[in-house]
Amino acid sequence: MTMGWAWLFLLLATYPWLLGADLASDALAPSSLVVFVTGACLVAPCRRLKRWQCVLFAACLGFLFEARRAVPDGALALTLVAVAIYLSSHRALLRTTPRMLQGAAAVNVGACLAWYAAAALAAPSSADGMAGHLFGQLLLAAVVGVLGFVPIALTQNAAMDRLGVPPAPETP
Amino acid sequence: MDQNRQGARASYVVLAAFVAVWVLLPSAVRRFNREAFVEFQAPALHLLGRSRDLATFFEKKSRSAEELAAAGRDLARINAALELKLKTMEDLRRENLRLRELTRYNVPAEYLSVVARVATRDSSSWWQRIVIRKGRNDGIRPGAPVIFGDTVVGRVTAVHLTTSEVDLVTSPGFRCTAYLEGDDQNRIVLVNGVAANSLGAAKARVSVIPYDYLLPAGTPARVTTTGMGGVFPSGLTLGYLDGGAYATQVGNFKESLLVPSRDLYNLQEVSVLVPIHQTPGEALMQGDQFQ
Repeated sequence: MTMGWAWLFLLLATYPWLLGADLASDALAPSSLVVFVTGACLVAPCRRLKRWQCVLFAACLGFLFEARRAVPDGALALTLVAVAIYLSSHRALLRTTPRMLQGAAAVNVGACLAWYAAAALAAPSSADGMAGHLFGQLLLAAVVGVLGFVPIALTQNAAMDRLGVPPAPETP
Repeated sequence: MDQNRQGARASYVVLAAFVAVWVLLPSAVRRFNREAFVEFQAPALHLLGRSRDLATFFEKKSRSAEELAAAGRDLARINAALELKLKTMEDLRRENLRLRELTRYNVPAEYLSVVARVATRDSSSWWQRIVIRKGRNDGIRPGAPVIFGDTVVGRVTAVHLTTSEVDLVTSPGFRCTAYLEGDDQNRIVLVNGVAANSLGAAKARVSVIPYDYLLPAGTPARVTTTGMGGVFPSGLTLGYLDGGAYATQVGNFKESLLVPSRDLYNLQEVSVLVPIHQTPGEALMQGDQFQ
C-alpha cells in the first residue's frame, strides 16, 4: 500500500469514533449538547503523517462534522487545517503522552469554539444568555477530548502501523 | 529546522490563499462538497438505524406469549373502535366534498404521506435536528412538513439521496403562523424556534399574541397551525403555551414560550407530508445557503 493514501485509510479507521460521537450526541440531544471529538482525532496523526497528509485528513474531519449541521461551509474544516499545519510543524509539542493529552484537550476545545462561533454567526436568530451553555459545551469538549483521546490514538496508531507510516521521531 | 519553518510558512500562505478562493467560490461548489460528505456518511447512518430496529425487534421477540396475547387483544379492541371512527370520517368527508362543490371552495394543498424512521438526532444551541431514513429517492422534497399523528414535528430542511434533515419546531430556523386556543377571533400569532441556552428541554417562542388575549383557565392553551402559507395543513398541534404570556418591551403584544406536545427526541417514526404540487415555500427553500 502506498503511503500517499495513508491519510484516507486513517480517516476510514477514525470514522467509527466519529460515528460513536454522533451516537452519544443523539443520546444527549435533549440537553442540546454535542459530543465533539473531531479535534481530538487530529492530534495523533499529526505526530506521524506528513504535513500535506495531515492537512487533507484535517479538512476531511472538519467537512464530515459540518456536512449535516448548520455550520457555514468550511469554517471548522479550515480551522482544523490551520491547526494541523501548526501541529505538524511543532511536533516537539506532542512528544510525551501528557503533552498529547493536553494537546487533545486544547485542540478539541478550540475546534469546538470555532464551530460554535461560526454557527452563532450563521444562526437565523440571536439569543441571550448563551455563556452558560457555551461553557458547558466547551467543558464537555475538554472532558471528551481527554477521555476519548487514548482509545482514538491507539486505533489510529494501530492503523498507521499497518499502513507502514514511520513512527514519530524521538527528537523531532 | 529552517526547512520545516519555511514549509510551515508556505503552508499558511497556501491556506490563506485557499480561504480566499473558498469564499469566492460559487455556492454550488460548496454545496457539492457538503453533499459528497453527507452521502459518504449516509450508509453508516442507515446501518445505525437498522441496528436499532434490530435491537428493538429482539427486545420484542423476547416477550412472553402471554404479553403478546394481551397486546394483540388490546390492539383488536383499538382497531374495532378505529373502524367505527373511520366510517364516521368517511361520511364527513363526503359531506365536506359536497359542501365544497356547492360553494366552489378552493381545495387546500394535498399531501402524500411518507412514513420514515428516525436515524439520528442532533441538537445544539444553534440547531435541533433529526435525520430520517428517507430522501430524494423516496420523493421527499425540501420544505415538506413533518408530523407525528396530529402533532407538528418540524420541517424538512435538506434532502439527500437516502436521508433527509428535519428542523424541529424548537430549532432557531423554524417559523410558522398559528392560532391560539381560546381566541374566538382567530388572530394569528407567530411561532419560531429559539436558540437553546440551557440544559433543559428546548422550546419555541410564540410572539405577536394580542394584548387582550386571555389564557384559558385550568388547561394549557393549545397552539395550532393556520394552514396559511401553504406549508402546514391547518389544525395541526404545534404545542402548548408554557405558563403565562408576558408583555413585550414595546407593549403592543405579548409573548410566551411554546412547549412541544410530544418529546421530539423520543420519536422513532414520523410522517413527511409531501405536497403533491410544489409550494412557493419550497421554491424559496431551494435558495437557502445553509439548508
